[in-house]
Amino acid sequence: MKKGIIILILLIQLQTKAQELFVMTEPASNMPTGSIGVRTMNSFMFDKNNKLNYHLMPEIMWGINQKWMVHLQSFQSNRASGGLYLEGGSFYAKYRFYSKDDIHKHFRLATYGRFSINRADIHQEELETMGHNSGGELGIVATQLVSKLAISGSVSYEQATDNTSINKFPTKQSNNATNYTLSFGRLMFPRVYKNFKQTNINLMVEFLGQTLNENSKSNLDIVPSIQFIIRSRARIDLAYRKELYSNMIRTAPNGFLIKFEYTFFNVTK
Amino acid sequence: MKKLMILVLGFVLIKTANAQLKKVDIVATGLTCSMCSNAIYKQLQVIDGVDKVEIDLNKNLFTVILKADHNLTPQDFKDRVEKAGFFVGTMVLYISYSNFTIEDGKQENNYVFIDTNPQTLNGEKQLRVLDKGYVTAKEFKKLSKKYVKYATYSVNNENDYHIKLVQE
Repeated sequence: MKKGIIILILLIQLQTKAQELFVMTEPASNMPTGSIGVRTMNSFMFDKNNKLNYHLMPEIMWGINQKWMVHLQSFQSNRASGGLYLEGGSFYAKYRFYSKDDIHKHFRLATYGRFSINRADIHQEELETMGHNSGGELGIVATQLVSKLAISGSVSYEQATDNTSINKFPTKQSNNATNYTLSFGRLMFPRVYKNFKQTNINLMVEFLGQTLNENSKSNLDIVPSIQFIIRSRARIDLAYRKELYSNMIRTAPNGFLIKFEYTFFNVTK
Repeated sequence: MKKLMILVLGFVLIKTANAQLKKVDIVATGLTCSMCSNAIYKQLQVIDGVDKVEIDLNKNLFTVILKADHNLTPQDFKDRVEKAGFFVGTMVLYISYSNFTIEDGKQENNYVFIDTNPQTLNGEKQLRVLDKGYVTAKEFKKLSKKYVKYATYSVNNENDYHIKLVQE
């Protein structure tokens, strides 16, 4: 926790420009209208016996208009069989309903929802409809960009259901949770823009928390990351997720994340 | 008959050519990253009638240079910036005039000249669009008080543009 605060203070003090394309959370801003993004999230998480749990989560995203965007994602992992196994998929939509922009700053609000289907076995108390549980999530996100710093916070309600009829949700566990996130991002390079080809480097730190509503068990993670934006259209994110606190059963909370993303502009009208 | 048509057409061309939109400067708000600027750039670039787009990434300034014959209006550019997910903070039109007489509050086609002395314009002039959506929300609040005497200004009609000469 102490480390996190130090990183936070460092980020706030650095005098550069900001970014809000966070690794773990979505900002209240949307993709440009008509653009299509492709993304893969690779997570290398380690369980208590140091066994690697690899998750591959490719995603396709579409900016329908300035208010709406949607994602389709699939979830693969090696957790059960050792080889890659298709566990499920999800549909995500975000609606930006408030925008207050000024020169080099904005404040935006959006609501979002996710609907997921998953057939993997349920092996932890933590709920995660992005890759582990069938169910849904409904949330609100606020993002503030103040010339040099982007700060984004979200609160959501998550409801898990049976992972198909084979893997029923354990009756003794809480099947719903409240999630909260807080993300900070800063652009470190370039200090002065010359053209679109310059690689942008962002430093970010994100806090991800969850409370299970039925038994008040909680967890809190910190995710520091470095992000490279290449030619103003491709993204590479390197992150490390570390559990700061937890009193619930989690299979593999700590590990590395590598994310690739590419944006195709003006694909649809 | 054909000759007459050409003559009429030529006359119409000359008539409309005495105020020709050549170039537009747009400062976009709500962004600081080059990926965001790129999104706006890509939107502006594909407008029919746009010759090229020049950018100052540090100021978020987009200079849109137009082809000789186009029917583009300020709204065409504003829509594109908003499609990219951002807003217009400043829009300056570069219009080439020949013997064009203006008066305060006088409407010519879709343009209402405000905050100006009566004069005749010649050569390329810079004019700022002051309508809602073409200035920041904060500035619009101030301007609505300042320009309360122009009845059309507060109506927020999308089809007329209130423009003011930029002093050089």
